[in-house]
Amino acid sequence: MAEYAPVDLTVENQVEFELDGRRVAAPAGTMLADACYAHGVEIPIFCYEPRIGPPIGACRMCLVEVEGMRGLQTACSTPVAPDMVVRTTTDAVKEAQDGVLEVLLANHPLDCPVCDKGGECPLQDRTFKFGPGTSRYVEPKRHQPKPLNLSHRIALDRERCISCFRCVRFSQEVAQDGELTMQERGARSEITTFSGDPYRGRFSGNIIDVCPVGALTSIPYRFVSRPWDVQNTPSVCGLCPVGCNTELTVREGRTKRVTGRPEPNPAVEEGWLCDTGRWAYDASWSQARITAAVVREATGDRTATLEDAVDGAAALLRGRTAGILVGTAATVEEAGIAADLAGGALPGAVVARMGIPGGALAPLRALPGAQLGDVDDADLVVVAGGDPSAQQPVAELRLRKARRFGATVTGCGPRPHALEALGTFIRTAPGDLAAGVASLAEAIAAATRPVVMWDEADLAGEPAAAEALAAAIAANPAARQLELGAEVNGSGLRALGLPDAGAVLDAVRAGTVDALLLVHADPLDAPGRAAWDAALEGFAGPVIAIASHADATTERADLVLPALTMWEQEGTLVSMNGRVQRLRPGARGPEGAAAGWELLVALAHRLGVVPGYRTAAAAFRAVTAGRPAFAGITPEAAGVLGVPLAAPAQVAGASAPPPASGEGVPLVATRTVYGGAAARRSAALADTAAPAELRMAPDTAAAHWVNDGDRVVLRSSSGESGRLTVRVGDGLPEGVVFAPLGAPGSPTEGVLPADMAPVLVRVARVEAG
Amino acid sequence: MPILNSVYRHREAGRPLTELAAYREAGGYKALESVLGETDADDLQYAFVRSGLRGRGGAGFPMGRKASFLPKDSRLPKYVVCNADESEPGTFKDREIMEMNPFQLLEGLTLAGYAIGAVRGYIYIRGEYEHQARVLDAAVRAAREAGFLGKDLLRSGFDYDITVYRGAGAYICGEETALLESLEGKRGQPRLKPPFPAVAGLYGSPTLINNVETLTALPPIVTRGADWYAALGPEKSPGTKLFSISGHVVRPGNYEIVLGDTTLRELIFEHAGGLREGRRVKAVWVGGSSVPVIGEEHLDTPLDYESLQGIGTALGSGGCIVMDDSGCIVRACLRLASFYRHESCGKCSPCREGTSWFERILQRMVDGDGRMEDFELLESLFRRVSGKTLCPLADGAIAPIRSAIKLFRDDFIRVCQEGSPRPEPMLPASVG
Ligand SMILES: Cc1cc2nc3c(=O)[nH]c(=O)nc-3n(C[C@H](O)[C@H](O)[C@H](O)COP(=O)(O)O)c2cc1C
Ligand code: SF4
Ligand code: SF4
Ligand code: SF4
Ligand code: FES
Repeated sequence: MAEYAPVDLTVENQVEFELDGRRVAAPAGTMLADACYAHGVEIPIFCYEPRIGPPIGACRMCLVEVEGMRGLQTACSTPVAPDMVVRTTTDAVKEAQDGVLEVLLANHPLDCPVCDKGGECPLQDRTFKFGPGTSRYVEPKRHQPKPLNLSHRIALDRERCISCFRCVRFSQEVAQDGELTMQERGARSEITTFSGDPYRGRFSGNIIDVCPVGALTSIPYRFVSRPWDVQNTPSVCGLCPVGCNTELTVREGRTKRVTGRPEPNPAVEEGWLCDTGRWAYDASWSQARITAAVVREATGDRTATLEDAVDGAAALLRGRTAGILVGTAATVEEAGIAADLAGGALPGAVVARMGIPGGALAPLRALPGAQLGDVDDADLVVVAGGDPSAQQPVAELRLRKARRFGATVTGCGPRPHALEALGTFIRTAPGDLAAGVASLAEAIAAATRPVVMWDEADLAGEPAAAEALAAAIAANPAARQLELGAEVNGSGLRALGLPDAGAVLDAVRAGTVDALLLVHADPLDAPGRAAWDAALEGFAGPVIAIASHADATTERADLVLPALTMWEQEGTLVSMNGRVQRLRPGARGPEGAAAGWELLVALAHRLGVVPGYRTAAAAFRAVTAGRPAFAGITPEAAGVLGVPLAAPAQVAGASAPPPASGEGVPLVATRTVYGGAAARRSAALADTAAPAELRMAPDTAAAHWVNDGDRVVLRSSSGESGRLTVRVGDGLPEGVVFAPLGAPGSPTEGVLPADMAPVLVRVARVEAG
Repeated sequence: MPILNSVYRHREAGRPLTELAAYREAGGYKALESVLGETDADDLQYAFVRSGLRGRGGAGFPMGRKASFLPKDSRLPKYVVCNADESEPGTFKDREIMEMNPFQLLEGLTLAGYAIGAVRGYIYIRGEYEHQARVLDAAVRAAREAGFLGKDLLRSGFDYDITVYRGAGAYICGEETALLESLEGKRGQPRLKPPFPAVAGLYGSPTLINNVETLTALPPIVTRGADWYAALGPEKSPGTKLFSISGHVVRPGNYEIVLGDTTLRELIFEHAGGLREGRRVKAVWVGGSSVPVIGEEHLDTPLDYESLQGIGTALGSGGCIVMDDSGCIVRACLRLASFYRHESCGKCSPCREGTSWFERILQRMVDGDGRMEDFELLESLFRRVSGKTLCPLADGAIAPIRSAIKLFRDDFIRVCQEGSPRPEPMLPASVG
């Protein structure tokens, strides 16, 4: 179980000691509780949670006997020592375990039959295994109102709380959101937020996972199931490029819950999820979900069976030259099969990927790469550009941990962001990231084990900065780079060698394709959307969309094939730092839908070219064959924890973007995962939805004749935005405006070019605030 | 009764020394003047070791030894923290020192700071001591103006200042690591040890923590010499000690005695004026409420660390609580149990839950609902809790009750059956 720290029993120079009469060894510094667990002896614990931080010795559950030490010792806080003699099963130890469990249960409500945790509850399990069989407590129990809403998503049952402090420490030390505290003292101690308001945090759900009792439960999961009625499937989160490893709880074909893995992935998320990744699963049955195929005809829309719809799609495509556009969240299998069509079923098709072209990033990507977990050992962590808290949420926790472990954190970039408080950050003017990078070079050169995180979108837009950063990293042989990617499966699509969307756009414009197949692709909601709008305006050929949710593009499509989501289908995603990880099917998905890769295989069949694979695993092998990045990587090799790509996922044929053109004020756009597109489809996350706001400093607002609350549109050489509400804020740099990507209706995407090149915008007020 | 060997100058002078001039007149700051720039810090530390002075906060750890545990080569700043949380029931000796003789404490705290090379001293004073905090604040200001605090003390090159920090009313903040947490602005809860404060204390820096009475004893040790101090009283626990005596005695108050020279009987009957007419000693908590209770048969024990330990109790903080035969021992235990339940910080499970449970059982007994199996239950709970908690508070809660059940078992059995009516108040209560 994840509660114990993993112990590497293969290192040299281990400390030998005696455990219940056996001679064993563990690396120096290992806490007894972990060392014992590694040797098959379970010492019961409650407050200890090595992922949160150093032991606090609060619950006293882990007492063991150590020869020569007075009294019993807490195994969670006693490191192994040479020739230490440890006894874990003596009468004194048993008496202590009985004692702690007896007092913990004295005032415990014992409402296991109606408790969500029942059946997977450490208190239950440890009582059964180590505790007294009966209670001697005859006094009336303490009562508390139950349950309280600690937030919109977390219920708190104070009667069940055993005051282990894990949740408080998570909030204070891991997320560092300063929200949770223990109030009152002694037996009246209770968990609450400092302000008494609901827990506001981007990682709040992790406290449910770490709570060793049913005191903290997920409101959407409340009373939904018992552990023995569900199947748990290890999978990964496909909502952002971090690729956190998850566990899906599935009952009756539906995803009922997403949690961190009981065996976390130390290289990626270490068991923590962001709240979006944890709670967005109800999007799989949201209003926007496409549950049946749609055929759009002159007489109106009609739904069709999947069979008929695939036949229809094949009929529309037959004999035509197709443009195939693959979305950034499509799996390796979907993208690969789509690319395969060009060689067989749809000869001459032009296949491309959505997302940032990134022609300027090749030198950076070619440098030695780090996994997120490597940040733990770094002495210096550099964040060049970006806003990890907003765009790659769980990366924030790794950065905070690195700082806690003593690493220096520094960086530069055009946006103010939450992690700037961790160290010295240089604010750069938009378009001048190179200057910031230059000022970091010295620190990178001087560090022993530096990890340089760089933002894909920001550096793609500023080739000079990318070049300078690559040089700075290359100058220190110990330095490693870690891409803060912009898109879920961006690396996977690049590793397959797909060119950027410009290839298809050009073909559409030039009329060299006369049909369009979109695979989880929504160009009408993405940067560069103005160009796509224009191109599709005059496009006469059929547009076929494979999609799970309705969006601007499925509205425009002539035929929509309903696809499964990441919670329902099998497939492979490659995370931002090039980690190949597997989605495993949890839920079944709607009757009328199928996995995107199956739809593509069916299409190929209908078009008369039978592909050489019938399973996702076989498709993976076929489509990655001959791709150097995937050399030696099989679904089996990826296993449960994934493997890094064999070679960097470089781009195929993209050119560097031009410098900002046009007139006006520079616009800095930020993707928001928390409260972003996924959150809007989820009822559980409805309250987090990020508003469509244009933020700027007071003088900048004055210079553009706008006030807080005004509604404006932006215009650039790439197009026009939707409406945004002006927010004037102190603490923002002057002379630049900030807007979110992924806000409802994708307003900002309208002014941005597809290559994320820097843009200048004019601000026009359309309505006073 | 004349005090021949007084360590505390206001007692020697027979008047409060709250003005700097008065304190100087009484010999104040001579110690600091003689040491600064003259004596090597290590030599001063060694003098403290030789004096044999033991901590007066409760645990009685040798002061000089503790100072010597601070790393000499640390790159971190060092601190001295004066524990003025004085919350042990029955203990009010530090209060007298701070109220009457603040400068001697400041001088002692400065000497300790010099001896370990500290950059600052803190006085953590319990929130309820509002007046005393004001006296200290005024004294710090006066000392600073006179050049006894601040930069370059007495032109010796030694920079040192003192901050008075008020607690918010929690007994646990007297426990040294909880005190540090509170001083850092956090919730007052003990830390896991090791690391000990000498290595990683305030803000993770090496820190020396001593009680008010301990630090106040330092100036005379410097002026009169460590040997003089060491010669007072028994070899292993020399010096004088302030005893706070309260309860059923005629003259409650603070009395300074030379350790080992005075018996408990003398303290109660000569210093504190004895009991009311016709009453006998029933129970005494000699060293504050956290020590095992003793009965009449031990009245002739000399008051010093070893002798008290020898009869199964402890000198503790020197807060001597006396109960005569008009009191009910079970009720007294319930009162103590309530105190510890209320003051348990709640960090560790055995204490948090155990102290509540003890109180419940004793409440039932006092209500006449006690059961014979409660004795076995209590003893078993004591066994399961004591020595297994994070800090000694729980042991402090258990010691007085466990010893009382042993010593006064018949009273407990009677109360279990009959209950114990609430006694009439002895005097009309005056609520201030
Ligand atoms: C629950 C608890 C309460 C304490 N309260 C006090 C106190 O109020 N004053 C004090 O000086 N020491 C108190 N102590 C002892 C301190 O932890 C520490 O040992 C002492 O301040 C050291 O100073 P000394 O060596 O000068 O005695 C307390 C200890 C415990 C466990
Ligand atoms: S709510 Fe859960 S995690 Fe938090 S202190 Fe209570 S038992 Fe521990
Ligand atoms: S950080 Fe990204 S991958 Fe991880 S849980 Fe959140 S959305 Fe999912
Ligand atoms: S013994 Fe009591 S006071 Fe001490 S840490 Fe544990 S709960 Fe807190
Ligand atoms: S697990 Fe060791 S004290 Fe809680």
